[in-house]
Amino acid sequence: MSLALATLLYEWRRYMAAVVALAFSGLLVLAQVGMFVGIGKGFTAQIDRARADIMVLGPGAKALFGGPSGLPRRMIPLVYSHPEVTQVAPLDGSGGRFQNILSPEQQAKEEARAKRAGKGEKGGGGGTARKTEFVNVTVVDAIPGYVTVPTDYTQSMIEALRRPYAVAVDETALKRLGVKKGDKALYNGKTIHIAVVTRGYPNIIQPTLVMSRDTLRMLGEADIGQRVGPLMVEIKDPARAEIVAAQLNKKADGKFRAWTRQELADANSNAMLEDQIIGIMLGFSAFLGLLIGVAITWQTLRGAIMANIKEFASLRALGVSMGDLRNIVMELSFWVGIVGVFAAGLLTWGVSLLATMGGVPMYFPPVLVAIVAGFLVAIAMLSGFLSLGVLKNSQPADLLR
Amino acid sequence: MTRDNAHKRGETALEARGLVKRFKTGRSYIEVLKGIDFDAKHGDVTMVMGPSGSGKSTLVAALSGLLKPDEGKVSALEAKDLWSLPTGKIDKFRLDHCGFIFQGFNLFPALTAKQQVMTALKYQGASPGEQARRAQAALESVGLGPRVNQRPSELSGGEKQRVAIARALAKNPNLIFADEPTSALDGENGQIVIRLLREAASVRGAAVICVTHDPRLEAYADRVIHIEDGRILDDVRRTPDANPAPLSH
Ligand SMILES: Nc1ncnc2c1ncn2[C@@H]1O[C@H](COP(=O)(O)OP(=O)(O)OP(=O)(O)O)[C@@H](O)[C@H]1O
Ligand SMILES: [Mg+2]
Repeated sequence: MSLALATLLYEWRRYMAAVVALAFSGLLVLAQVGMFVGIGKGFTAQIDRARADIMVLGPGAKALFGGPSGLPRRMIPLVYSHPEVTQVAPLDGSGGRFQNILSPEQQAKEEARAKRAGKGEKGGGGGTARKTEFVNVTVVDAIPGYVTVPTDYTQSMIEALRRPYAVAVDETALKRLGVKKGDKALYNGKTIHIAVVTRGYPNIIQPTLVMSRDTLRMLGEADIGQRVGPLMVEIKDPARAEIVAAQLNKKADGKFRAWTRQELADANSNAMLEDQIIGIMLGFSAFLGLLIGVAITWQTLRGAIMANIKEFASLRALGVSMGDLRNIVMELSFWVGIVGVFAAGLLTWGVSLLATMGGVPMYFPPVLVAIVAGFLVAIAMLSGFLSLGVLKNSQPADLLR
Repeated sequence: MTRDNAHKRGETALEARGLVKRFKTGRSYIEVLKGIDFDAKHGDVTMVMGPSGSGKSTLVAALSGLLKPDEGKVSALEAKDLWSLPTGKIDKFRLDHCGFIFQGFNLFPALTAKQQVMTALKYQGASPGEQARRAQAALESVGLGPRVNQRPSELSGGEKQRVAIARALAKNPNLIFADEPTSALDGENGQIVIRLLREAASVRGAAVICVTHDPRLEAYADRVIHIEDGRILDDVRRTPDANPAPLSH
């Protein structure tokens, strides 16, 4: 084992401050990356699991949601006219005010709590309070295998949604909406019922209700005018999606744009990450992490080297060159960085568990994790580089006194 | 890589002429070495003695390539003018030829006795297998065979100094510099240490230069040089005692 590694392992307490600093620098950046990507996933989950091979959006749209993604209804037959297209259905959606309905027992509990709160006790939390939330609505056609139905919807889920006023809610939104499966609730003042609970459609910005096109029509919010939402298109051979999309685009002549599913998913998450605010936040955090990490790691390494300066000086006396001593310090800081990466991983894992429990699922794309790991090792190495100066104190002549 | 110099016994290993070293204190300079001529031979234990502050450690530092003198010349082994070499060459000279034993042991707390010795050998370019073999042999020769896997915190002062000696001797140096090697040790351990140095000179033909306050170590010396106030007071050649009286406090 090398001197640097042995020293780090044996005197780990001395290096704790540096490792903890690196761990928090890593957490600072990773937690945000995880959260943003988690949010982005929420947006793309529907695209990723759509049955459509091609999606047709308005000409200016860059993402499925947000922005002018719809197009005139008369485009539907135009898309249909392509010989390989088998199904076309517009996405539809709406949004409005969601309120839960408390059962009589819950109502009683709520009142009791309110009374206690009145006496000065804090009555916070509790999953059964009265909630009002603004929600997104998206539709599916409650027909098995239909192009608007996500691939992971089971037969029974579709059947449940086929009943009037039945809606699906993702499990991550249940707490926020204050409902559970089977509950009744109010949507824009009309009674709906939570018939299906989905998994893996988190959306921390705004909860989403999924309902059948017929239910949305009964609620009076369906598109019946000349404009419709993005078109979901199924073709005979999914492998030919790129070719068909290109042919459709040729046909469109600028009136719409056909995207393959992958293209759109990428565009969606890029739109998310390229968002200026997110970029600024991440950049600022990385800068802050760098500053804190370097400052603490540098000082820790300095102290640790100074503590062993006589031993280093004795190596100098025996003829070990300054360059070799520098290499020892750089190796030491490299290992501190590696340990810091693991500590950051552990810490981030803990935080992401907590976040997931709190309904904010995080995702960590391997590439971004690798970048952050490299960033931490770079911080440690930079700190090591800065602390090389103290090696000047390793004067072997000082050992002769 | 055994470079036994037994055959060189009696040849001059190190020679210095007109060494002057001044230190700046405040506005004035104090002259610590005032024109010292010095030489040491292979196979000899050369003892440097003198009162505190007389310049003994400074002399050793100048002789061994650790502290550049202001005037004078040091020629050691094949380096005819040591201090005319660039720093890197002087480092290399020490790496190839010099062993040091200090009053403090200066062992890395994290390393076992064997790793301490191996680390010193590593920079000489020995392969890991050779490092291990030579470290083991060096530690056994100082009587630490059963302690090779212990760290400094698990060793007594005398054992630590023996590890430091093993570290210095493992590379088979031609020149061994020791500055008060026994002053942190009790009589018994001091005796073990000075015997090991004596042996390095007699058996391997190394030139051992040992600074000490302790008059009882004289018994082991071939030559005793007294320094006072930066000058050599006297230089006595003697025959080491065959059975020196035990050092006990
Ligand atoms: N780096 C330095 N700067 C200034 N003065 C120094 C320096 N090193 C040594 N001196 C002075 O030089 C003189 C000789 O020091 P040196 O260490 O050689 O003495 P010594 O003979 O080894 O003494 P001791 O027996 O106490 O170890 C002392 O007066 C000391 O104060
Ligand atoms: Mg001294």
